[in-house]
Amino acid sequence: MRWGGLAALLVLLALPAVLSSYAVTIFILIFFYAYLGQAWNIVGGYAGQLSAGHAAFVGVGGYTAAMLSNELGLTPWVGMFAGAALAAVLGGVIGYLGFRFGLRGFYFVLLTVAFAEVGRIAASNIDALGGALGLYITFTGDPRQFQFQDNRAYYYIALALLLLATGVAWAIERRRFGAYLAAIREDEGAAEALGVDTLRYKLLAMLVSSFLTGLGGTFYAFYLFSLQPNAVFGIPMSVEIILRPIVGGAGTLLGPILGSFILTPLGELSRFYFGQSGLYGAHLIAYGLLLIGVVLFLPEGAYPRLARALARRRARP
Amino acid sequence: MASTRVTRRTLLKTAAAGAAVVGFPLPLRAQAKTFKIGVIHPVTGPLAEPGQACRVGAQMAAEAINAAGGIKALGGMKLELLLGDTQTKGDVARAEAERLINAGAQMLQGPFNSGDAAAMVPVVQQRRVPFLIDIAAADPITANVAKSVREGQQKLQFVYRNFPTGSSFGRKAVQYFGEIFKEAGVSPKRIVVMHANDLFGQLQARGFVAAHKAAKPAWDIVEVIPWPEPPSDLSTEVSRAKALKPDIIAPITRPASAQLLLPELRKQRVEIMGIVGPGSPGLYEAGQLAALKEDLEYVLTSVPWPDFKNPKTRAVAEEYRKRSGGKTFDTNSGYSYDAMMLIADILERARSTDAEAIVAAMKKTDWQGQLMVSAGPVRFNELGDNPNAIPAMIQILGLRPTVVWPKESAERKFVFPRPKA
Repeated sequence: MRWGGLAALLVLLALPAVLSSYAVTIFILIFFYAYLGQAWNIVGGYAGQLSAGHAAFVGVGGYTAAMLSNELGLTPWVGMFAGAALAAVLGGVIGYLGFRFGLRGFYFVLLTVAFAEVGRIAASNIDALGGALGLYITFTGDPRQFQFQDNRAYYYIALALLLLATGVAWAIERRRFGAYLAAIREDEGAAEALGVDTLRYKLLAMLVSSFLTGLGGTFYAFYLFSLQPNAVFGIPMSVEIILRPIVGGAGTLLGPILGSFILTPLGELSRFYFGQSGLYGAHLIAYGLLLIGVVLFLPEGAYPRLARALARRRARP
Repeated sequence: MASTRVTRRTLLKTAAAGAAVVGFPLPLRAQAKTFKIGVIHPVTGPLAEPGQACRVGAQMAAEAINAAGGIKALGGMKLELLLGDTQTKGDVARAEAERLINAGAQMLQGPFNSGDAAAMVPVVQQRRVPFLIDIAAADPITANVAKSVREGQQKLQFVYRNFPTGSSFGRKAVQYFGEIFKEAGVSPKRIVVMHANDLFGQLQARGFVAAHKAAKPAWDIVEVIPWPEPPSDLSTEVSRAKALKPDIIAPITRPASAQLLLPELRKQRVEIMGIVGPGSPGLYEAGQLAALKEDLEYVLTSVPWPDFKNPKTRAVAEEYRKRSGGKTFDTNSGYSYDAMMLIADILERARSTDAEAIVAAMKKTDWQGQLMVSAGPVRFNELGDNPNAIPAMIQILGLRPTVVWPKESAERKFVFPRPKA
């Protein structure tokens, strides 16, 4: 397993040398959404607290870094941490409100959605943030401004982000913290009865998750060069973040990554094959059907199934 | 274990197909037979309807160019369109730009939505592919590229736009209001702005108010009344407006809210000189005309519009109506049609498919073939924008959208103040 991971990493490190710029773009999107999925996975998967408003953290992180760069000339390499810290503060507020007052299930989902919507409406109405038109970033290609003339630089940064989030998730999984989160997910009452400080650990998971997601906001801003309130704070972004861990297997280390390696190419391929026809939206129908298939046949996610299949094969003489 | 084997095979097949799509570098061709243009619009998603109109407009123009013998300066080279869909998502727009350039696109046209345009800019700058924006209004898109070229961070600007910029919409609307009042010999004083409180409505309202403030005309905006979009009822908003004793109601609507607002203004008998909009959908589309009928009569609104005084526009509009199942040739189909025709003109002058030659020809553009109402030939300024791309003031007369201003493009003289019922 360990050698397999290392080999995969070496392949990923070498890939940009042989890939076309379009293929590199697809890998960037795979890594980036896997990264956001992994960040969500910490609170949504391991701790089982379904947040459907993670877009808020992308928005806060992205807007903060972009504003600091546009207005004060602060390099996004620093600004990204300011953005992530602000996202973590927001995560702390949402987490405290939700967990302290015992909002579970749908109620917590609604709380997170509400905060993201508040963020969206606020950003659309604050002129200093560009209002509904959004914030535009000048493309210079200067690496000091987190911009790159070469697509491959984004590839390595997205990969590094993914490794960072996966490393964090791995560390949590191995520690007592991870066991507490699993206990909270499986039966919160029982965990509490056994003396787990559930509020504290849920909050901690939320802080880590929102910090990492906020970090991703900077990447989004400086990869796509504009921030629109509807795009970064909107519900579609939150869904996009959740989809990968759900498809790949929430609460597993490799789930979000596997999910991203399934979904992003699926979207591209269906667009490639069906997008040229005169039937508008045929590719979205194809994508939707495939998605339904995955959820129907792999309800617990692709990774647990894959892991079992591998284990069976290994067990065979 | 047969199922495992099938799965694996399917997986391999899919992977191979994926590799075929994304992995293979394009073989260098000595001389391409066609000139490939990536045409990227949001043909699915929330902006699918205008996006599809744009695509059809570009396709019709390319077919017309090819039918007339292609690009003559390049030996009759035909245009080949590679179609892309942004789904109104920045990341998809960026990936589509990469995909089409990879598939051989030598120029790009699109993409309707400003955020998508911003995401495509770094791709075309990196890969040195000229990009003509047919629709997308946000000022910074071109201005930002021009700035980084001016400051030496980028060598050459590959992004140009033939569409009115966001800031010019409000400016032009304020200007047209004043000119029409003057021409009509009236001096309305009190204008009430009523607008949908969504992204577009806010933008339009703010742009209009800001332009009014800067121009300091003789008329005042006495109140700005927003409504949540889509509204369920507008009677309170209308009675609030009525209480302000306005001379003019300036609405910024969506189709759904226009269907509530206009009948409500009639029912409450708001006494005004007229309804004059700074620009918004809902006041001129075929479906709206069918639904609102007389309520739309005499309504004026500022919008980029085809110049139907031009016989060519009428012919294209008729063909478009047939092709699109009865739709009006409008802002979206019109500007996309113009953009493709403009690309043909640029290629004729570039006499080469080389990106830098195309950009050089683009900068020297002086083209008069537009079907859209404009203030003069297409010429790109130092930002890469065409200041001659302007909206027009249209009025519903006899249940038909009719250009009434600027005077040179007017199909008929406007009727203002509107006749008393």
